[in-house]
Amino acid sequence: MGTEWVAVGLSRDLPAGVAMPALWQGRELAVWRSASGKLSAWNDRCPHRGMRLSHGFVRGETLACIYHGWVYGTSGSCIHIPAHPDLVPPATIKAETFLCVEAGGVIWVGAAGATDTPPEFAGYVPLRSVATQADAAALAQASGLEQAAQGLLGSTAAGGVCLILSTSQTKTTIHALAAKEADRVALSRWLDGVVRRAEERVLA
Amino acid sequence: MIPQAVLDEWYPVGMAAQVGPPPGRETMLLGQPITLFRDSAGIRVTGPDGDLAVTVAYGHVWACLGTPAHALFPIPEATQEGRRLVDCGVVRVKCSPLRAVENFLDIAHFPFVHTDILGAEPHTEVARYEVQIREDSDEVWATKVHFYQPQAAKSAEGGIVTEYMYRVPAPTASVLYKTCPARAGEWDVIGIFVQPLTEELCDVWPWMALFDDETPMADLIQFQQMIFLQDRSILENQIPRLLPLDPGMEIPTQADLTSVAYRRWLKRKGLTYGAQMVAA
Repeated sequence: MGTEWVAVGLSRDLPAGVAMPALWQGRELAVWRSASGKLSAWNDRCPHRGMRLSHGFVRGETLACIYHGWVYGTSGSCIHIPAHPDLVPPATIKAETFLCVEAGGVIWVGAAGATDTPPEFAGYVPLRSVATQADAAALAQASGLEQAAQGLLGSTAAGGVCLILSTSQTKTTIHALAAKEADRVALSRWLDGVVRRAEERVLA
Repeated sequence: MIPQAVLDEWYPVGMAAQVGPPPGRETMLLGQPITLFRDSAGIRVTGPDGDLAVTVAYGHVWACLGTPAHALFPIPEATQEGRRLVDCGVVRVKCSPLRAVENFLDIAHFPFVHTDILGAEPHTEVARYEVQIREDSDEVWATKVHFYQPQAAKSAEGGIVTEYMYRVPAPTASVLYKTCPARAGEWDVIGIFVQPLTEELCDVWPWMALFDDETPMADLIQFQQMIFLQDRSILENQIPRLLPLDPGMEIPTQADLTSVAYRRWLKRKGLTYGAQMVAA
């Protein structure tokens, strides 16, 4: 069985030096980009006292927990404990890591050790991400698009569109890609309409 | 089922000065609805099964849902001449009441959570200190705790190395003693009295007994509120919400010896309301 790759965001929404929360198969993750641009996805929990690492701060090639400043390198290993500056942290102190790669301007997370690659959408470029309470079925109905492997695919009056859907129990995140020749402004407005109609159906 | 040992402890349920006539204040204790009001008999607290045992001390009302296992813990400094007693109000936090206490016992977070107030990089080292579970008083104590602080108190001017002592005299209460900037040789006393509304929701009532005749009351309260609001941003984002009492779920270091003793003390006494016993 192939890895379950999940889109967690668009590349341009996670600049260097930033950490953000993400969901992967019901797991809460911290996804962050180092100063040099390297992406990492970890369990969103510092092994010390359980604080969310997505609240942490990036310095250079490290992510530090906001609670006690424990510093982790891109391998996930803790490399510095400020309360004990002379201590070399034992190798057992390590954040649980996941695979995190970018393809076509989309950030994908997969299980550690996965050998396959995330899907690619040739001819499409990132438009924007939208979070909604509407589920995939409501979005399919409201958009009139066809079901595809990672979401919904089809054409609109504004041009071709691909909606990559990441779902959790309570919300759906839509990562919208536009066909290269599409009218991006019109497509963005079309997406707002889809989300509104789908939410009206959920709330009704 | 709530363990009997939990029911037989004292918990803060409000500020004494705020208790008025019926219908009074509706709140919760250990998941049960309770009401505080004042009548001719004094301050009363009623629960689903009638009146609860009540003690009024340190500006707050304390109640017990079971049969009190002992009197409320003493704070001798509360009656010491010259101290200003400050009720700081309440901060509601979506976390285990035990996590709120544990955070109060922690100094290593000062430079990162209370930046440039209670701590600042590069002064992050926590030197070895002493921790004991005192058998006579059945309290957790940490002593000889030293930490560099840019602004240790509202009355402090510039950075000082502050000495602390911490005690945990009740499952959801802690009292700290710290260097008094205004009077050498004395300690400022700060307590947090945590009301367990549920296992994952609490009201934190900070209280102070200070040697500080200068700072306006509103500024003293504002300073403590600021500190606890900074703590809340941490406490509401720890996973799991319950405090893990079994080793393996979290990794303590030497700086966490007070927390280790607190967890051990809770486990030994069966005070597991707000705790997680098995690693998830």
